Amino acid sequence: MKILFMNGSSAGSELNSYISSVINSVKAAGHEAGELILRDMNYSPCRGCFNCWVRTPGLCVFKDDGDTLCREFLTADIAVLASPVIMGYPAAIVKNALDRIIPLIHPYLEDIGGEVHHLKRYKKYPAMALLLEKTGDTDDEDIEIIRDIYQRAALNLQSSLKLLRLTNSPVEEAAHALINN
Amino acid sequence: MRLSIINGSPRGVSSNTMKLLEYFTKGFLETEGNSIEILHSIKDRPDFTKEREMFLRAERLLIAFPLYVDAMPGSVKELIESFEPLKGKNPSLKLMFMTQCGFPETHHTRFVERYCEKLGRRLGCVYGGAICKGGCEGLTVQPPALVEKVFKRFYELGKAYGETGELDSKILARLAHPEQLTPENLKQVIPMVNNFLWDGLMKKNNALDKSFDKPYGEDL
Repeated sequence: MKILFMNGSSAGSELNSYISSVINSVKAAGHEAGELILRDMNYSPCRGCFNCWVRTPGLCVFKDDGDTLCREFLTADIAVLASPVIMGYPAAIVKNALDRIIPLIHPYLEDIGGEVHHLKRYKKYPAMALLLEKTGDTDDEDIEIIRDIYQRAALNLQSSLKLLRLTNSPVEEAAHALINN
Repeated sequence: MRLSIINGSPRGVSSNTMKLLEYFTKGFLETEGNSIEILHSIKDRPDFTKEREMFLRAERLLIAFPLYVDAMPGSVKELIESFEPLKGKNPSLKLMFMTQCGFPETHHTRFVERYCEKLGRRLGCVYGGAICKGGCEGLTVQPPALVEKVFKRFYELGKAYGETGELDSKILARLAHPEQLTPENLKQVIPMVNNFLWDGLMKKNNALDKSFDKPYGEDL
């Protein structure tokens, strides 16, 4: 199994070492793990032009690291978004990354469970997981709001939110939960 | 009454969000003495100096954005993060939100609406509610009768807001219709959007034959 960690933390944050430890545990258990350190990558926010759907289907107009985000996301079995919770939501750098992977889906709509969602472009998409670091005034209500929104987001990316873990739980438990979900 | 507005659409001035704001503000300005000011936040990242200054002095602030992957666009999250030091600094501010999505059902916006309500509390403002509206992609290619109805509702909502200083819950509910689609509606709406909106745009760009391209690997 290939697990991709999209690291949305800032330099010097403890979250970096937490993620590294989870990666080591996952590897020790015989799985492949990759990490994208988002702060070291260069990608523009999505500008909503929809060229990736209607002009160059499947490809963004921006020639930047958005390409790597798409490729790595698509080829993972699990995509872990690891982020501090800032103002009640995962970091903007993570949201900008997520906005840039819409070339992976098709603009067509389909009926999924009585609601309109987007169609697949590829055969298979990774499961999604959230690894969240509570910061500042983060409370349980924030976490529930994040969970509900990301369940929806995963559905629209032809994925599903398999797991939400907080970094106040032991590394081994987080790694175990990721592998076994 | 003075209304300050932040248009958070990454498409800036030429966005569906801005189009809806135009009708809302047209209604709002029907009341004598009312005035507005608008910032397009995509131009002001990553510092958002003007937006932070607006937040601190505004009496009423409307933050509007399109739904991107079920939440605020990343650039709007950047804006929100820039407001972190402003928590509790303008306790009399009436803070409202507007969010619209391309999906035909307004239901898709209800999850980020909860975030907005919480954000109002987090910033220590008076929460003035959220305007939520589905079916807003391709406003320029939708049947004119449908689009006119949407614009009219935004105008009415703005007009009532300009008179009372409150979002009218009845107009909000009418505007949000349909909250969800019936199975019959789904059968009608899906091919309509796929054929008219998406195929139409792909044809225009000579890309219809590439519609299902897989640039990251044919076998994936």
